[in-house]
Amino acid sequence: MLDTLLPILMFCALALMLLGAWRRVSLWRQGRPSPVSLMRGLAAMPRRYLVDLHRVVERDTYMSRTHVATAGGFVLAALLAIIVHGFGLHHRLLGFALLGATVLMFCGALFVAKRRRNPPARLSKGPWDRLPKSLLMFSVSFFVVTLPVAGILPGDVGGWGLALLLSAGVAWGIAEMFFGMTWGGPMKHAFAGALHLAWHRRAERFGGGRSTGLKALDLEAPDAPLGVEKPTDFTWNQLLGFDACVQCGKCEAACPAFAAGQPLNPKKLIQDMVIGLAGGNDADFAGSPYPGVPLGEHSGGPHQPIVNLQGKGLVDADTLWSCTTCRACVEECPMMIEHVDAIVDMRRHLTLEQGATPNKGAEVLDNLIATDNPGGFNPGGRLNWAADLNLPLMSEKKQADVLFWVGDGAFDMRNQRTLRAFVKVLKAAGVDFAVLGQEERDSGDVARRLGDEATFQRLARRNIASLAQYRFDRIVTCDPHSFHVLKNEYGALGGNYQVLHHSTYMDELIADKRLTLGQHKGGSVTYHDPCYLGRYNGEYEAPRSVLKAIGIEVKEMERSGFRSRCCGGGGGAPITDIPGKQRIPDMRMNDIKETGAELVAVGCPQCTAMFEGVVEPRPHVKDIAELVADALVDAPAPATQKPVARPDVLEVH
Amino acid sequence: MTDSLRRDPRSEWIARNRLHPLHASMQPLEASWVGLSGLIRKNPHALGFAGPNGLKRIDRSGAQQGGSRQRARVDAAVQLPLHIIEQPAFHIVVVPDMIGGRLSSHDKDLFGLANTLAGSEGAVVAVVFGEHKESAFDTAGIDRLLHISSEAVAGYSPEQRVMMLRAVDAQLAPRHWLIPDSRTGGGELGRRLAAKLGERPATRVWQMADGQCVGRAGGGQQDLVRRAPRLILAAAECADPVGDTRHEVRAIELEDVLVHGAARLDNRGAVAVDPALTPMAEAEFILSGGNGVRDWDLFHQAARELGATEGASRVAVDDGFMPRDRQVGATGTWVTARVYLAVGISGAVQHLQGIATCDKVVAINQDAGCDMVKRADLAVIGDSTAILQALIDRVDALRQGGIRDAA
Amino acid sequence: MPHNLLNVITLVSVGAHPVTGRARRAEQDARAVELGLRLAGKELQLLHAGDPQVEALRAYLGMGLAEMTVLQQPPRADVVPALGDYLRDAGAQLVLTGSQAEVGEGSGMLPYLLAEQLDWPLVVGLVEVESVTEGVAQVLQALPRGQRRRLQVRLPFVASVDNAAPEARQSAFGPARRGQLRPQDVAVVEDMLLEEARLQPARPRPKRLKVIKAKTGAERMKAATAKASAGGQVLTDMTPEQGAEAIVTLLRDEKVLR
Repeated sequence: MLDTLLPILMFCALALMLLGAWRRVSLWRQGRPSPVSLMRGLAAMPRRYLVDLHRVVERDTYMSRTHVATAGGFVLAALLAIIVHGFGLHHRLLGFALLGATVLMFCGALFVAKRRRNPPARLSKGPWDRLPKSLLMFSVSFFVVTLPVAGILPGDVGGWGLALLLSAGVAWGIAEMFFGMTWGGPMKHAFAGALHLAWHRRAERFGGGRSTGLKALDLEAPDAPLGVEKPTDFTWNQLLGFDACVQCGKCEAACPAFAAGQPLNPKKLIQDMVIGLAGGNDADFAGSPYPGVPLGEHSGGPHQPIVNLQGKGLVDADTLWSCTTCRACVEECPMMIEHVDAIVDMRRHLTLEQGATPNKGAEVLDNLIATDNPGGFNPGGRLNWAADLNLPLMSEKKQADVLFWVGDGAFDMRNQRTLRAFVKVLKAAGVDFAVLGQEERDSGDVARRLGDEATFQRLARRNIASLAQYRFDRIVTCDPHSFHVLKNEYGALGGNYQVLHHSTYMDELIADKRLTLGQHKGGSVTYHDPCYLGRYNGEYEAPRSVLKAIGIEVKEMERSGFRSRCCGGGGGAPITDIPGKQRIPDMRMNDIKETGAELVAVGCPQCTAMFEGVVEPRPHVKDIAELVADALVDAPAPATQKPVARPDVLEVH
Repeated sequence: MTDSLRRDPRSEWIARNRLHPLHASMQPLEASWVGLSGLIRKNPHALGFAGPNGLKRIDRSGAQQGGSRQRARVDAAVQLPLHIIEQPAFHIVVVPDMIGGRLSSHDKDLFGLANTLAGSEGAVVAVVFGEHKESAFDTAGIDRLLHISSEAVAGYSPEQRVMMLRAVDAQLAPRHWLIPDSRTGGGELGRRLAAKLGERPATRVWQMADGQCVGRAGGGQQDLVRRAPRLILAAAECADPVGDTRHEVRAIELEDVLVHGAARLDNRGAVAVDPALTPMAEAEFILSGGNGVRDWDLFHQAARELGATEGASRVAVDDGFMPRDRQVGATGTWVTARVYLAVGISGAVQHLQGIATCDKVVAINQDAGCDMVKRADLAVIGDSTAILQALIDRVDALRQGGIRDAA
Repeated sequence: MPHNLLNVITLVSVGAHPVTGRARRAEQDARAVELGLRLAGKELQLLHAGDPQVEALRAYLGMGLAEMTVLQQPPRADVVPALGDYLRDAGAQLVLTGSQAEVGEGSGMLPYLLAEQLDWPLVVGLVEVESVTEGVAQVLQALPRGQRRRLQVRLPFVASVDNAAPEARQSAFGPARRGQLRPQDVAVVEDMLLEEARLQPARPRPKRLKVIKAKTGAERMKAATAKASAGGQVLTDMTPEQGAEAIVTLLRDEKVLR
């Protein structure tokens, strides 16, 4: 009897699965076009899955091994089961193979079940708590059903009773595993995830690459939507990406806004996008809600606005404005989903179409338009901080080895100390550098992250035009935000430069022995990785190596390197200023205090400002450039004087 | 304080010489005061008077208050020369704002300007509407006073006033009209009059010389230089007020008082504005709290009691004690209050930037060395809770006393 | 909502940023547009007299309006006759303007002249229209220091708006780009003012010095030796009551304690 029932069950499930897949695909296809190569993507998919994705999953060894066993076992078991039970190819060897696969899967599923016994808060409950049972049921049922095939048990053991029981088990198993895969069950992640990897919007991220710059909007095309208003305004592969989410909550655990009690949870946001894709409300969401926002009040559909400024849409605007764009969620996501892209896309609609940038946002954008800096300062005062430094100007020199990009910190009295320190270092090393002076404008970072793509592109194009007038080898800046934008986001607008963060450049100068450094005097030091330097650009080593060169042994925080927690200053978050239960910089300052360090070294004007805004007593905050400048030893005259330095170099060669 | 004490041998000599005519004016006002070291100092010389034989006499009966009587005599001696225009060749008419029934400093500046325009030939005419409390029209430089106290021009009545002024224009045919370009009435009245008379006024004029006047133009980035027209709306400090002459303030009457046409603006009176809801940028009196405030209920109570608009430092806002729109400073709201009372605010640079245009800053703080105390015109060092409580009690008592006085 | 029936026209001009002088939407005009949007919603009509090619005008459309009528005028024209002629036939019940232009003369006369020309009442410093009943509007007028006065005025009327009016909403790129500027050819009257007057960069105004008019040497001496102000008094080691007393004295001197 099982021999007839099983094929029917399996092919029904497979047929339904295909139907579901077709439906799911048509849901994704509601999105806007995206230029990815379908075939090449599919071809690259196994490698992306096995290598790139595994590299992220591997950070959690328990889950990594569990997943290998479960998923590997399942894929093998499913394929063999279709051959053995679906097509009735009752070969003994196949039977043993299938048995092995189900045992492997069973072992994996046991660990899945164990993880679920006392799950951390970040994990979703509901259907996800059912999954380990389904996995066990699938593997056990198929194991028992396959025993006769392998010849271990006679075919008619147990009679009708057992046969019915087994068919029920198999039905449950394949319902979850096949049918659920394309009809929205937890196993959807396998189907959507595989395709998501194949057709990922940022193919550069695979194979060890990095792609962190936001994608430019085409402002010339009059009918292209300005950002994302409704789910169908996303590109189809973004929609596919949302479907790939496994609700593991790694993003939630890493999100600084969530921890601060602001109404954002990256996992919930992605799930809300899935709800928007298919239509419905969020009452059934089985994970942590946005802090302070109850479940069940928000709903949406593919053609309904995501944010409803007058009432309740799918997502509240505050949720989108809570994000600091620190990219911790993206970094942690084992499915390589791009949360920040989605958030900025939706912000673009709010700013460009609705004019609804909250709090100081509108004022900052107006300032950027009228004065080229977010503070509304007179652009003529951009070089006032260096009035006594006699800085070489590009407009006079026309060319230099290094173009020192000053950034908007030029208007901030605290940051001016950093800038002056870095100039001191540059001069001590005898670097041939120059600044743009009043030709420099805001890089456009804040405007872009507040969703004002138009202002970003206007600023960027004018900066690119200024830069095009001069010859220089490299751009060096003390501001990781400018650094990121110049390096990764100007390219799309025609500005390609070699850009270095000042820590990287100082590391180079030290390696070339162009700086005479003493030792850092003072207490213990910890280092805070700026998001836009670390996660966005992968620079973790240079700042540490610079600190090491001046005799500092960094007391690392628990969350450092790629896991560094944001200072709360990115993405315009201090401007939109969404209230939470606590402030992000306070939390980070607690991380810093836990190390017992007396001083925190930073490499970003935003981080400096955020940390110095924390009420004293707290560790001192110093930029790396300041620490290096303090440790400079006055070299015997030549090093600083160029005409004298040249012969020295000649002698060395 | 750190002011160095300077000896002035001549004044010391006068102070010793009771027979010197200036002796009395060199005497300190008080007979006792708190000295530099905090001790109570007494000046026996301030008491009493010089007797007929040159010896000092102190009358302990209390009938005689030495210093003050003599000083009064010195003050009374100042009698400015009287400026009389019998037959004016022309008139310069000024319509002062009369805020609170008195000449404002802006008004006085305009009379100063009017007097330079009038020279020795012309007469300066002031047109005053409604009741007033001013008693120093003479020293402000007013030759003729046209007091219009008709019922029609009481309160806010720009349309009726313009009618009156048109009648004045017909009667006196003034060479110039001078009206303060202020938000307190003059700016509106002057422009209404200009539109009614068909005159093109010079506005925001801040300098006048040789028949040319200079006024701010546009958003204040430019000056407009032009020949002085008949109607001039002048900014504050456009000229120095009259200081060294008295004028006769001869009353004149409006001959043809004919107000026709019903008023189209119906004044329904002032609206009670809750100081707590006043936009901070406009508020006149701000009570601002910071990190040093321990008892926020008391703080709110104090704000209510004092009738102050509430403000806060960034830290207080970050910590959730005050809403974000109440944040004062470069990153919050720039305020222009006349009195800014900062409780427990140490005074970060951004905060001090935001209160830069406040007239008087009062600080209540524990730390006498903080930047806010350095900025403050008056700083009280101590526990904020106790001082706020004392402040509430004091104001309460004052209010009670006021009611008793009125009764 | 009776407000929805109100037919409102807001006059807008091209402003200049106070720091850089770049063309932008004028601050007060934008507030007038905001007030108009609250009264008439998307039905609000925008009117500008000047050059329809100026991009900065689009910033007003970016506040959510589909179009703006532009009466074509050269730079040195007197726009009052053109605006008056247009408004007389436009059927507006309320015409909103800013108080003062940010470029050019900026005399602030425009609303007064228009009101005179149309023979409509004028409300200066409008902040809110509370109600409109039977053709009479009850409005709030801004006074200095956040004070308000209630006025009743018959429609139609002209109202000028100053910085006390509600802050203008953000101007968004999308609607600004899509909006239409509809030019109209109208008669041009040349403004003769600049024949005789000239504009020059603003000179900083001299700070008034404290002039001491003393008759005797003793008075001059007194004035010279007296401290400039009583500022910077720090009271330490005193009871809270004494501190409170000192503060109350200052508050009463400044007349903020009512």
